[in-house]
Amino acid sequence: MYIQNISYALTQVVHNFGASAVLGGAVAALWLAPRPELERALGWLVLSGWAAQIASGAAFGVISFYYYEQFPDISFAGTVALVIKLACAASGFSLAAFYLLYARGKPQAWRRCIWMIMTVLGGTALTAAAFLRWYS
Amino acid sequence: MNFQSLSCSIVLTLSAALFSSCVAAEEPYARITFPPDGAKLDAMSQNHIDYEVNPGPRGSHIHLYVDNEEAAILRKLSGSHALEPLPPGAHSLCIKVVNKAHVPIGVEQCIKVNIE
Repeated sequence: MYIQNISYALTQVVHNFGASAVLGGAVAALWLAPRPELERALGWLVLSGWAAQIASGAAFGVISFYYYEQFPDISFAGTVALVIKLACAASGFSLAAFYLLYARGKPQAWRRCIWMIMTVLGGTALTAAAFLRWYS
Repeated sequence: MNFQSLSCSIVLTLSAALFSSCVAAEEPYARITFPPDGAKLDAMSQNHIDYEVNPGPRGSHIHLYVDNEEAAILRKLSGSHALEPLPPGAHSLCIKVVNKAHVPIGVEQCIKVNIE
């Protein structure tokens, strides 16, 4: 029981820090731009945040399956929220990687556009997370 | 109070606390108190389900299933929930205790009802 709870809790810690990184990093980049080197560091933060979100989200499923041999039982509304979260995570991770690969030398307007999309993705994922939590 | 009597008091207190917690710990359960299994319900009436649950240390809340589809999330551990109108025929009603991650922990009760 203790191990199970600590597993869920530590996974939640990683998930929460990932959430704060994906949204906070994107908002900070918009707020503090134009500062290319800082934006690049924030790009790494956002990429790490999405990676943490994906890994910890999968870990929730793994822990549940390990202890109960089944995945969380979520409603239709919860499933829709989960699909939205997954789409945001896949898009956010890909876009952050794309940014880190191709942003050097690009105009400020191009970089700002990417950061705005990443802010929307982060905000949408966090909103969907609330619906997943309470509609499941 | 000398050291020996103090130690003895502590041991007795801890033993009593441990023993009482063992006695108080009840097996988790999920019970549908209404309708009874096999009940015939009126299709024209507002039907409901009454339940009571002890989630135990692993459980958090309850999921209600109608015909294996999740129909409601019940956060009160005992109470009544109105059912959506069901078409005539046989239907299954289940309540399952789930943990905070919404995973059924194996504490559940299912019944069958006939809507006429």
